[in-house]
Amino acid sequence: MPVFVFLLMVGAAVLLQTTVLEYAAIMGIKPELVMLIAIFNGFLLGAREGAFLGFAGGVIEDLVSGSYIGLNALSCMVAGYLAGSGGERFFKENILVSTGIAFFSAAAGLTANYLLLMHAGIYLPALHAFLRVIFPSAAYTAVLLPLLFGRALRSFQIQGRNS
Amino acid sequence: MRWGTAKRLFFLAVLVAVSLAAMRLTVPERVRLTPLEAKFRDVMVPVQGGLTWLGRQVQYWLSVPVSMVRAAERNKALEQEVARLEGEVARLNEYMLENQRLSGLLDYKQVMAGSFDLLVASVVARDPTNWFGTMTLNRGFADGVRENMTVLTPQGLVGRVVAVSDYTCEVLLITDPRSGVGSLVQETRIPGIVEGTAGNSGLARIIHIPNDAPVEKGQTVVTSGLGSIFPKGIPVGVITRTWYESSGLFKSAEIRPFAPLYSLEEVFIVTAVRP
Repeated sequence: MPVFVFLLMVGAAVLLQTTVLEYAAIMGIKPELVMLIAIFNGFLLGAREGAFLGFAGGVIEDLVSGSYIGLNALSCMVAGYLAGSGGERFFKENILVSTGIAFFSAAAGLTANYLLLMHAGIYLPALHAFLRVIFPSAAYTAVLLPLLFGRALRSFQIQGRNS
Repeated sequence: MRWGTAKRLFFLAVLVAVSLAAMRLTVPERVRLTPLEAKFRDVMVPVQGGLTWLGRQVQYWLSVPVSMVRAAERNKALEQEVARLEGEVARLNEYMLENQRLSGLLDYKQVMAGSFDLLVASVVARDPTNWFGTMTLNRGFADGVRENMTVLTPQGLVGRVVAVSDYTCEVLLITDPRSGVGSLVQETRIPGIVEGTAGNSGLARIIHIPNDAPVEKGQTVVTSGLGSIFPKGIPVGVITRTWYESSGLFKSAEIRPFAPLYSLEEVFIVTAVRP
């Protein structure tokens, strides 16, 4: 993926997350678009590239949000890596399978986020964190994968098969 | 005069006479048709009806292309008009709602003028993640905003300013896990610290309340003002649930903030507190 396109996608994702996605929140939960881009890249380019681009996207999100630098970078890296690994091992052309992989990758990324928060001295009740943030957010993010990137994912796979 | 000419004149005269007689018989005031006329009409009705129908059909089909063009133009114009009017209605509704909100803020500002200096600010952005609860306001150093200033709405406490630039400031909401607000239960005066849980939950909690403290669902929590950057007596929220902590020595309470933290558009920044 060209750097310019990647930066544009991440920039748009962060902009959306800080503004209009607040209105698309379900029970206060909004999707993690930067993580979704990391997962998408993981599917397309593999685990290593997914991890790298996830990290890069997360750093941008951290810089823009004024949050702990590295917090989203590491969690998106985890998500990108796992999506890449999952995509290589499992049959990702099936929409349900890719959504499932996306869910587990996002959940793992958000769990990493939770652990890093503890590392930063912010303690949240585990039950609350998993039930109110991690699982709902991962589900919302995973559902968006086929909606936003389904066509791109399919066309890329067809190209790959033909070449 | 030749015989042929005389015969033609005779027929003409008869024709004129018959016609005049017919005219005489069919004046408009008459009520009854002549039997011949009635018969003729009865016989002709189906034919006339058929021809009329045919004429209408022809006229319709001939005029369809023209009317279609006109209808399409008209439809397009009407659609544009409807869209414009819908936009105008939405805009007017927006003005009405904004007017209601600003009127509420103005009333509150006038009521609180004796206690606080208040600055109105608009929310321009939110934290991108689901973990933290922060928002960016359109007021900064240039407007006199400084760190740790209290942010509130007429309904209750929102949070405090944690970072300021020239024209913006970042507010830490009371539901952010990094937030702590010195508070007390209004009815029983039991003190505690209100902590956030996660940015998105819209909930906060008080922990380490002594087991025997009379803290119950429905009680109101306000800022205590003790050793805190928040002025005293600002409504924080209502207790929605209490439970015993695992140690058995304390209990915790869940609080639903009074301020609608996730639908805020305008807030007040407390720039000064009057003694």
